Amino acid sequence: MSEARIQFIKTDRARYISHLDLMRTFQRAFLRADLHVRHTEGFNPHAYVSIALPLSVGFSSQCEILEFGLPEGEDRSQVPERLTRALPEGITVTRCYDGGRPFKELCWVNYIITLEYDAGAPVGAENAVRNLLNRESLVVTKKSKKAKSGQVQVDLIPLIHRVDYESRRDAIVLDAVLRAQNPGLNPTLLVETIRRECPEVSPDYVSCHRKQVLDKNFQPFL
Amino acid sequence: MDQTMEGILSRVEKPARYTGGEYNAVVKDRKKVDTRVALCFPDTYEIGMSNLGVRILYGLMNELPGVWCERVFAPWGDMEEEMRREGLPLYGLESGDPVSDFDILGFSLGYEMAYSNVLNLLDLAGLPLRSADRDESHPLVIAGGTCAYNPEPLAPFIDLFSLGEGEEVTVELIQLYRKARREGWSRRDLLLAAAQIPGLYVPSLYEVTYQPDGTVAAVTPEPGAPELVTKRIVQDFDKSYFPVKTIVPSTEIVHDRVMLEVFRGCIRGCRFCQAGYAYRPVRSRDPKRLVEQGIAACKASGYQEMTLSSLSTSDYRPLESLCDGLLEWCEPNKVSLSLPSLRADNFSMGLMQRLQHVRKSGLTFAPEAGTQRLRDAINKNVTEEDLMTSCRTAFLGGWNSVKLYFMLGLPTETDEDVLGIADLAKKVLQLWRETAPDKRRGCRITVSTACFVPKPHTAFQWEPQVTREEYLRRVKLLRENMRDKSIAYHWHDPDTSFLEAVFSRGDRRLADVLEAAWREGAKFDAWSEYFDLERWMRAFEACGLDPAFYANRARSREEVLPWSRVSTGVRTDFLWRERELAYAAVITPDCRKQCTGCGANCLLEKGRACDE
Repeated sequence: MSEARIQFIKTDRARYISHLDLMRTFQRAFLRADLHVRHTEGFNPHAYVSIALPLSVGFSSQCEILEFGLPEGEDRSQVPERLTRALPEGITVTRCYDGGRPFKELCWVNYIITLEYDAGAPVGAENAVRNLLNRESLVVTKKSKKAKSGQVQVDLIPLIHRVDYESRRDAIVLDAVLRAQNPGLNPTLLVETIRRECPEVSPDYVSCHRKQVLDKNFQPFL
Repeated sequence: MDQTMEGILSRVEKPARYTGGEYNAVVKDRKKVDTRVALCFPDTYEIGMSNLGVRILYGLMNELPGVWCERVFAPWGDMEEEMRREGLPLYGLESGDPVSDFDILGFSLGYEMAYSNVLNLLDLAGLPLRSADRDESHPLVIAGGTCAYNPEPLAPFIDLFSLGEGEEVTVELIQLYRKARREGWSRRDLLLAAAQIPGLYVPSLYEVTYQPDGTVAAVTPEPGAPELVTKRIVQDFDKSYFPVKTIVPSTEIVHDRVMLEVFRGCIRGCRFCQAGYAYRPVRSRDPKRLVEQGIAACKASGYQEMTLSSLSTSDYRPLESLCDGLLEWCEPNKVSLSLPSLRADNFSMGLMQRLQHVRKSGLTFAPEAGTQRLRDAINKNVTEEDLMTSCRTAFLGGWNSVKLYFMLGLPTETDEDVLGIADLAKKVLQLWRETAPDKRRGCRITVSTACFVPKPHTAFQWEPQVTREEYLRRVKLLRENMRDKSIAYHWHDPDTSFLEAVFSRGDRRLADVLEAAWREGAKFDAWSEYFDLERWMRAFEACGLDPAFYANRARSREEVLPWSRVSTGVRTDFLWRERELAYAAVITPDCRKQCTGCGANCLLEKGRACDE
């Protein structure tokens, strides 16, 4: 057995598969693909899988990473096709490669956040969002399982590396690089903050797409 | 998927239930199919996807060229609210197309408490609730499953009921439907022709009249409609369709594993059990074939859990050799094997050792009644000694917890029988103290009681249900006499059982109650989050019907029962004889010891006997 990783795309109907369900889905997909990957020990053994960074339900992604134990002698180049065939609609494995740096070195994520407006983007919406995210500090209250009070104060600004803006007729697209973990900034919290601070530009629908995961030097993480 | 749908899915809980797209889900080209079927389970995705019948029919219909069968489940409250607000009609999970555009809409009816969901789903599909208000432009609405054995409360809403096993009759009906469409028949002509197919009951072809006292006077067939509709069975269960390639849900469901059906029917004759009578005769599948199917199903699904299902799996004759055959593959492949519904009288050391190979789950026995007299009356045919032997085997094997299931309110039950449950639980606990090799973790005995619901087509179909007050008195009596920290007692809420008793033996007039309750918001009545007996009581009152008339009234032998045009193959005089034996506390041996002459063997082709 050796540590191997796959990169995969999660899109369309598969966006609604939750993190835990996705792990189960992969455990079964390995067996369907007749890949006898490493199993956990214990009473209820199952395929060992580890996903680099959980993806929120409803988000799409083109850069998910999953680690598993590949048996010796299996041809890595065949894994993406074999596995994709055994996966539900909307999940495509793009490559399989040797395990590399630990997941904790994954520091930043590039998200494409699309704020959509049924009746067209409000005038000045882009500027309103830009001004908000350009503040010196933007402290919000967020739910926390660890804190006794059940919530914690976080300043979003240090968690935002950069945001590029694109205004369309019926949408504003934020191309943002956000902190991945410890603590991470979920785009959902960013959008909630926009809704609260700038209610006049509150979108009717939001879609989030994970485009790239990066290390601390903003180089692609594999 | 359009933006409306994406918006909805971003706001509801567990959206993966509503997307389709699972592994092995069947997607066909709309242009290349001519018959579209919506197979509808009137409960949540998690429950419906766990139903083996749904999986069998789904696989079977999708193997037919030109037929595309899709799944439909009841959306949970948050999803329903979104759908209604956004004007999104009920859709098939595979295509996302509205159910109202389908050719056939088939409901799987497993329990009466889902009836309000049937109406809700018809409404969400944008269809008129009543058959009389639908025509050729609407899908043909059919229903099957155990509840179809008393089709009457749903009669005005369903065009036709399919009785018994659906493997063959579903195909025949689809062929008839295609012919009708090709030749431009009216809906009524189609229904008249369908009524000629054995196993199909068309309620609109029967007129029900009532006596002044409210009982049924007659259920009269129209000219051309059969006097009696008998259920269908699969003759050769060994070769009948088994879905090896089944859908693997992308989200967790209730029974998330491979289900291997080892036999149909039951050799026991428990007098309260509808399934025990209605699924007769017994037909088994060859263990070699089961091993092949089990392995193939695991490989095709990636499941690492397999269960052997049937009404009483420990009665499968070659069970130990089947387990051995499966374990030979399961163990190296890390697949665990489980057995539901063990009987307390044949849980052997050999079987236990086989189960231990994989995983130690909880052990559940269902003695059903606390005293031997009452167990004899209901023909459970399990003795206290059997139970003790099985528990000893289990405790010696390292099990420290046992669940015991009972019913309260069985015909002839006395307080002595109720207290017998407490005695039995205490004896099991004492046995653990005497036999368990490792007592460090303590023992847990869980006693559960449910309120007995008399069911049609059983020996107790004429019996009254005890009132809710009486059930609760017996619960209290038991609770006060069974206090021990190692014994936990759970009792089932009697309100649900009461409503179940009303509908399980109800007549056609209850359709109005159903519709009235649904209009007042009834849905998901099997779920405590939604069930509200008061709402139902108001509906009964509005319709001028007394629920106690249905639930708590004893029927005479002469009474015309609402389901009398429907037959499971078991003769009514046999059921009556069984009822009399119950009152005499005389047991009837199981079908293997001696044929009881119930009549179900006549469903088999000439020259074949049950359980061969």
